[in-house]
Amino acid sequence: MKRKTLDRIGLFFVALVMISPVVLFFLWMISLSLKYEIDNGAYPPILIPERFAWSNYVRVFEENNFFLYFWNSVLVTGAATILALLIGVPAGYGIARLKAEKSAVVIMIARMTPGLSFLIPLFLLFQWLNLLGTLWPQIIIHLVVTVPIVVWIMIGYFETTPKELEEAASIDGASSWQVFRLVALPIAKPGIVVSFILAVIFSWNNFVFGIVLASRETRTLPVAVYNMLSFEQVSWGPLAAAALIVTLPVLLLTMFAQKQIVAGLTAGAVKGG
Amino acid sequence: MASVNIQNVQKRFGAVRVIHGIDIDIQDGEFVALVGPSGCGKSTLLRMIAGLEELSDGEIRIGTREVSNLPARDRDIAMVFQNYALYPHMTVKDNMGFALKLKKAGAEETRAKVDRAASILGLESLLERYPRQLSGGQRQRVAMGRALVRDPQVFLFDEPLSNLDAKLRVQMRGEIKALHQRIGTTTIYVTHDQVEAMTMADKIVVLHDGVIEQIGAPLELYDRPANLFVAGFIGSPAMNFIRGRVEEGVFRTGNGLTLPLPQSANPATLGGRELICGVRPEHIRAVATGGIEGRVELVEGTGSEIYAKLTCKSDEIACLFRERLAVRFGDTIRIAIDPSTVHLFDIETGKRI
Repeated sequence: MKRKTLDRIGLFFVALVMISPVVLFFLWMISLSLKYEIDNGAYPPILIPERFAWSNYVRVFEENNFFLYFWNSVLVTGAATILALLIGVPAGYGIARLKAEKSAVVIMIARMTPGLSFLIPLFLLFQWLNLLGTLWPQIIIHLVVTVPIVVWIMIGYFETTPKELEEAASIDGASSWQVFRLVALPIAKPGIVVSFILAVIFSWNNFVFGIVLASRETRTLPVAVYNMLSFEQVSWGPLAAAALIVTLPVLLLTMFAQKQIVAGLTAGAVKGG
Repeated sequence: MASVNIQNVQKRFGAVRVIHGIDIDIQDGEFVALVGPSGCGKSTLLRMIAGLEELSDGEIRIGTREVSNLPARDRDIAMVFQNYALYPHMTVKDNMGFALKLKKAGAEETRAKVDRAASILGLESLLERYPRQLSGGQRQRVAMGRALVRDPQVFLFDEPLSNLDAKLRVQMRGEIKALHQRIGTTTIYVTHDQVEAMTMADKIVVLHDGVIEQIGAPLELYDRPANLFVAGFIGSPAMNFIRGRVEEGVFRTGNGLTLPLPQSANPATLGGRELICGVRPEHIRAVATGGIEGRVELVEGTGSEIYAKLTCKSDEIACLFRERLAVRFGDTIRIAIDPSTVHLFDIETGKRI
């Protein structure tokens, strides 16, 4: 009994050490966002200030056209995710059923290629197509991030679906399209949820594509936060507040869906599991 | 309902031939069992009939229609899979009505058909449940219900009972047989269990390495196996095979054990050649005097019968006695074999003489 308690304390301590960088970084961000500039520059540093600077949050929304950027982010992430699901789910199904591992690798290579290597040519292409003032360049380029996630997670899911189910459906009179729509797709619903969540997270957090392709009107949130750095001076309070607001949706999504995310990432690891 | 006609059907996976030109004629309403050890090609053959596997050569007809190149959905067949393959996201009712929904049948018609199948199989109270809420036997019944609702030309069963426990298997065996007698739809049933084949089928096709070893009624296969493989495969416990020669009107082994010859055998033509003598364990009787003397090496009693392994002059003979004998390991008993139950096989071709 005593041994067990000790084990638990030890485990808790190890876990604490491992997650402390992440936790401390968040705590510090929260602290920064709630302090006036004078406290932010104080030495020794102050973690919990005497007066909370809620005005930092108000300033974020007042000054920077924040709602426009938030809406841009929603549109880019939403469109990139929905398009990725429309393309990636059938693609994952096809690759899993035809055992076309090579195509899966090609998609993975597209994902692994450094974004900067194709950003410049794409920038020129979008300029030539006259799309630069719109959100389309960002939506299209976010597909590079979202489609491979969806495809790879869905391959894992469809591979674990018993083949007999689809054979039974085709004997029952279903066409290939009906087999996909009425049998394979509903069974893979957990996989679709996971790939949706991960696609949203990766797209929402993406920064590099936005910094190159976005104009003043088409900025997404991460780019907007970055641009706050260049206003006259660095004001740490509002910056931290903005960063927290940007992180919040993704943070909440991750917390709610962490079980499914883990399940989705390990799907296909154990056949029939 | 329809007859099924299989002609010269072959299947190759790359260079490997798994089915070498098979011909089977299945009458309308017949219950045919495809039986053989694992890897004999029986499931592949069934999948080819179902349209889930392409033919490398040959022709399959269902009724008068040639279906060799039709997709599964156009063949008008129903299949029960080994793992049942119930759609996990649908209730029992929707599972059973799925084929009708695809055919765009009316809600009223679908309900009537599903209800009818459910009442035949005793599934009325389970219609709103999901497959994960059912026991193995219930899932098995739903899988059959799904086939039944279709009212297809042919039922195909792919080892449907192998996931059930022994008791349930015997029960479902009876139910499938009763269902066939009631509905009369042509049925092709794949199993590796010869007892299932013997008890259920009108006709058994014994497959081995992609070749048909014998086709016939269950008792025909039992009484007159065409070759060593069928003789050893059909019947449980398996037939005794003893090597020896025909000498002086009897069959004599290298160890000096003598066995009677079948009445049909002509000692004059068989003399001198090395042969295999086959005797089923259940055809051996224990006798008080005369017969063959043997030492008991193993005894297994089940209450209704006693299985014993004897050594008779260094040859091993398995026996199955229906009467309760007080035999124990190490005892010496005497056995007799009725000549009419003895089979002789050619050692080279394996064929029965």
